[in-house]
Amino acid sequence: MSFEKEIEEHERRTQKVLAMGGEKRVERQHALGRLNARQRVDYLMDPGSFLEIGRFARSERTEDRENTPADGKVCGYGRIDGRETVVVSHDITVKSASSSPINVRKLGHMRRTAQANGMPLVLLNESSGARIPDTMGAIGTGTLGQDPTQFVRMRDIPYVSAVLGPAFGTACWFTQLSDFVVMRKDAQLAISSPRVTSIAINQAIDPMELAGWKMQSEVTGKVDYAVETDEEALDLVKRFLSYMPGHHGELPPRAAVPKGADDAVGALLDIVPESRSKVYDVRKVVSAICDPGSVFPLKERFARTAFAALARIDGRVVGILASNPLFKAGALDADSCDKATGFLVLCDSFNIPIVILSDTPGFLIGVEAERRKAPGKVINFMSALQMCSVPKFSIVMRKSYGQAYLNMGGTRNSDEMLAWYTADVGFMDPNVGVNVVYGLRYEDEPERFTQLVEEVRRDSSAYDLAGIFSAQAVIDPRESRAWLKRLLEVHERRPSRGIGKHLLGGWPTTF
Amino acid sequence: MAAQYVLSEITGKVWKVLCPVGTKVDEDEPILIIESMKMEIPVLSPCAGRVASFEVGEGDDVSEGQKVATVEP
Repeated sequence: MSFEKEIEEHERRTQKVLAMGGEKRVERQHALGRLNARQRVDYLMDPGSFLEIGRFARSERTEDRENTPADGKVCGYGRIDGRETVVVSHDITVKSASSSPINVRKLGHMRRTAQANGMPLVLLNESSGARIPDTMGAIGTGTLGQDPTQFVRMRDIPYVSAVLGPAFGTACWFTQLSDFVVMRKDAQLAISSPRVTSIAINQAIDPMELAGWKMQSEVTGKVDYAVETDEEALDLVKRFLSYMPGHHGELPPRAAVPKGADDAVGALLDIVPESRSKVYDVRKVVSAICDPGSVFPLKERFARTAFAALARIDGRVVGILASNPLFKAGALDADSCDKATGFLVLCDSFNIPIVILSDTPGFLIGVEAERRKAPGKVINFMSALQMCSVPKFSIVMRKSYGQAYLNMGGTRNSDEMLAWYTADVGFMDPNVGVNVVYGLRYEDEPERFTQLVEEVRRDSSAYDLAGIFSAQAVIDPRESRAWLKRLLEVHERRPSRGIGKHLLGGWPTTF
Repeated sequence: MAAQYVLSEITGKVWKVLCPVGTKVDEDEPILIIESMKMEIPVLSPCAGRVASFEVGEGDDVSEGQKVATVEP
């Protein structure tokens, strides 16, 4: 056989790279209940579709050339459910998957190729941060930052991150840039490791408090889902991508409509209580309107007064934004505004029509609200909504007061506004209004107070809204799904064929 | 696991205690109801477990972020 020596040498080198950081380190990873970097890629990609890029890259330091297979980042192209995707899988068994000049070069190549060819970028993050000593000193640090577009996000393609172990430095930065993040409950996500942080600020650090899933999914809201296993995380990555186009010039894929998809909406009158003082869970309303099993909530543990989900209506992907009366009576706070803004940016960037459901007493006001910069956040949310160029539909379910009415798509802030016959719209809650305007509390003069509340409440119905054509229709809640199906058909006829202007593509990825 | 505090997410008045001390609860199960903004707003358990104590009673005023109960997982 010709080239026998070369074939043998090629095979030897290939096997050495595929063995990653060596048996011991790989076993240690498995003992933690985690897949290794290559198993993760295999689990994620359609069988036989993975094409590895940069397999023979290694550290540029002479002493590390033999012990840095793929330089700690397994990269390549592969198909997920038949659609081309780019993956970067950090290999913690190789120098803790730390960032080095060579593997950052690989990462840059993967990102640019993904953008140039319209493929989502999937990052499987597990890394200790910058590699030491490679990045020490002026030469080490100055070698970084050679790519001036590394952290630019124009949302031309979706970025997805799974945080599957410690994720510090570059792994943390790319997680921040991502549109969707899932995290293992035993993983850590922070600027620096608890150890480095503890030394730097001379303070004992609880790793989970600093970098755990509760902080990231409930306080910062960066993490959409916290899960127990790698498999659950990777399944969620696949699910998120099933709602996304490959790039911003495409529409998201349309799915088949499950049997009986129109059946659940009839239950809406049982879900929403007749008594206005009673709350309900808006998630049940959303499930009744959308295709069965299609509702995919985002950031569900964060800012729960706002509910955001990708879903399907008649097989078409939609973004649902709703106030949830179950939490704080649906009053929107600073975090809810951030959540809503981020969600609108996502939908607009990837050509996903928006459906807004409102039942809110307004924005939560007070000293805390001002401290949390609520006014700025309300207006970010409002600007984002007005700049969205995908179809926007809104439904006023019950109360919708003041500026929150406008933020939730009121009047011309959506392409079509529907009002359930239960809608109640005004500048503020009538009880508060009487107090403000007449300086009267219920305890002062109950009879007069009640009479004034009735006066303030006058002209605040769905029919008043439709009478001045601020609502395009007054409907029975049970007609919501049928109306949305038809409106989606009408509004996808626009000459752009549903591809938005993407004016929000360059907005921040965190707020 | 240590007992977890149940916090009121809103300023208002405790209207009704739904789960007395000792009751087994699921995550997100309503423990008590606060009246605020003319609405009855449930306070939900942060985890599955047993209600261990109450820091407030019916009729008490509560503020946002105040500890109202503890649940032992």
